[in-house]
Amino acid sequence: MTKTKKGAGFPSPDLVRAVLKGHSGLGLAFAALLYLVCLTGTIAVFANEFQRWENPGAERMETMSADAVQAAYRAAIDRTDGPVEHVLILMPSEDRPWPTLRVDAADGTQTTWIADSAGRIMGEVRESWTKFLTRLHINLHLPQSWGIFIVGLTGVALLSSLISGLLAHPRIFRDAFHLRLGGSRRLQEADLHNRIGVWALPFHFTVSLTGALLGLSTIIVGAIGLAVFQGDTAKVYAIFTPPHPAADARPAPPLDLRPLFASVDARAPEGRISYLAVEHPTEMGAAALFEVEDGSSRLANADSYAFERTGKLYHEQKAARNNVGQQILGSLGLLHFGWFGGGVIKIAYALLGLGLTYLAAGGVNIWLARRRDKGRPAPGWERVWAACLWGQPVALAGVAIVALFTPLVGPLIWTWAAVSIAALGAAALFPPATLSRIGRAGTGALLIALAVAHPVFRGIGDSMALIVDGALGLIGVGLLAASIGQVSVFRRRTLQAT
Amino acid sequence: MTGAVVPGAMAVILGGGVAGAWMLRRAWSLKAGKAPWRWAGLSLLSLSILWPAWVLGEARGPFTALTLLSVAAFAVIASGYTLRPAKAGRAAREGLAPEPAERAPSAWRTTLRWSLAGPIGMVAAMGLGISYAVWAPGEMQTRLLIGGLIVPLAWGGAMAWTLADSRILRATAVLVGTAIVGFGAAMLKGFT
Repeated sequence: MTKTKKGAGFPSPDLVRAVLKGHSGLGLAFAALLYLVCLTGTIAVFANEFQRWENPGAERMETMSADAVQAAYRAAIDRTDGPVEHVLILMPSEDRPWPTLRVDAADGTQTTWIADSAGRIMGEVRESWTKFLTRLHINLHLPQSWGIFIVGLTGVALLSSLISGLLAHPRIFRDAFHLRLGGSRRLQEADLHNRIGVWALPFHFTVSLTGALLGLSTIIVGAIGLAVFQGDTAKVYAIFTPPHPAADARPAPPLDLRPLFASVDARAPEGRISYLAVEHPTEMGAAALFEVEDGSSRLANADSYAFERTGKLYHEQKAARNNVGQQILGSLGLLHFGWFGGGVIKIAYALLGLGLTYLAAGGVNIWLARRRDKGRPAPGWERVWAACLWGQPVALAGVAIVALFTPLVGPLIWTWAAVSIAALGAAALFPPATLSRIGRAGTGALLIALAVAHPVFRGIGDSMALIVDGALGLIGVGLLAASIGQVSVFRRRTLQAT
Repeated sequence: MTGAVVPGAMAVILGGGVAGAWMLRRAWSLKAGKAPWRWAGLSLLSLSILWPAWVLGEARGPFTALTLLSVAAFAVIASGYTLRPAKAGRAAREGLAPEPAERAPSAWRTTLRWSLAGPIGMVAAMGLGISYAVWAPGEMQTRLLIGGLIVPLAWGGAMAWTLADSRILRATAVLVGTAIVGFGAAMLKGFT
């Protein structure tokens, strides 16, 4: 066997340089979107905790009786003007220990109520911040289908960057443990970029693949429908969803859920009902679908039972008998958001998510540092990028404060847009270091204000709300301290220079 | 699963991750005698991914392990950082990755390249995914989900390739051909 000549192995230097060119171009093209989607996704890992934070006064419970669910469901229907299309009832869970009932009226309005353990409606759920955050991550608050597609495309770009990043990293083993901070900015950024990229690769791959599939699902289903079902996408969805009962629009009293609860209990005595969806509850053709966690360690562990008005079971799907495709489908959301291993996995996902956010940010920093090294600095882009990076944390913290005072998502979108535009405007006035210092200090101050204002204006009924306030306050103090530290370093350097 | 099993298992996974990464770092830092540390580290990390399948669930366990191992490994790397003096900038060039290739600017080639990475790559990836869903054996849901997963993977691969390959007409021919063959094969058989 002859030894391969040094430098002639795979990947060749020319291939590495070509792949780096593509990696760099793609990263720059999608940088701002990647950063926004990764940052909001990192925070959205705690969506359930934020819902509790927004509703600290809700009564906490472990379970809810069938009688209480029935009372709450009747009360929610009574509060709706006109015919009701669907009622979606989320039962209390470990992550969110109170029930909600979402009523979809025939005129398209949706109202979500919180109930207590006796089935009394306690008021509308407050979820403006959680909804703002999750919708920003899922569809950027753009029209649903376009927004989801753009986020899915961002997921594909991230996957592609992972592939090209690996191919463009010929020293992957030689540099595996290097983390050199200080000195050359470009080397520091490159080390952080490459170490985070390589060692958290399974996480990056999982969230980008699941995110891309979730985002592209509508267009993939459309293409399948077009190619093999003569354009009928309903036939594709029907492969995954329970069949619909025979339609019968004659009016009838609201469907009684209590016998159906008893029927589910008899079929799955060890199970825990996670949610139920009632279709056309005030029609003769009413039906109810129960999702029941079977208590196993499977990722997708929900059994489904669907009943007609008469109590006849017309659909049953046991998680234990799911095929591979059904298991993958049931796992996608859990794996994407890190909702499969309790608080520890959520914290790990948040840390790794921050790392992924840093990858998106650091890629552009490397490009900017490389240009500066080569004597072709791009000061305009340096300012714009610093404004993008620090404008978003400021905007999100500002939105969370506004959410204390309004249950509507609209004002939050305007606040976010205004702060984001103002941050970009500030790029015309300040150098990158100042922008970063203002961004750090601003985010820190806003988070501290949020942690103080939340208990005052929204109450402290739930320990989770206190934990969230504490965490926000600590992050705020950390950012403020970092900003003050940055100022003193700057002053010291200025003094030394003079 | 009882309440103590999950946190206990997670603690052991984290411990295994830290120990495995530390062994690999030791192998990396030694001038000689790397192999035993390298194999011990790789074995420990592999085991730490496998055993949770029996304790935490066949899918939940490995995904939990992969998540925690990444955090543990990065903690080991962060603990071994080196702080360079501010004047070390110039000397650091040798540690940098190669420079990206320079290409002569050409509007039509740039447009074609991004079209290949974007819409044409997407159509080709969909052709692959849908033809898999139509032709592969197995349950309908499984074929559709795996076909669906192929789409972003193939599209991402196509993006990486077309943005790097300087022979752009070859990439055009391959992607257009894949799209035609993929969709053609899917339409020929239909979904059953």
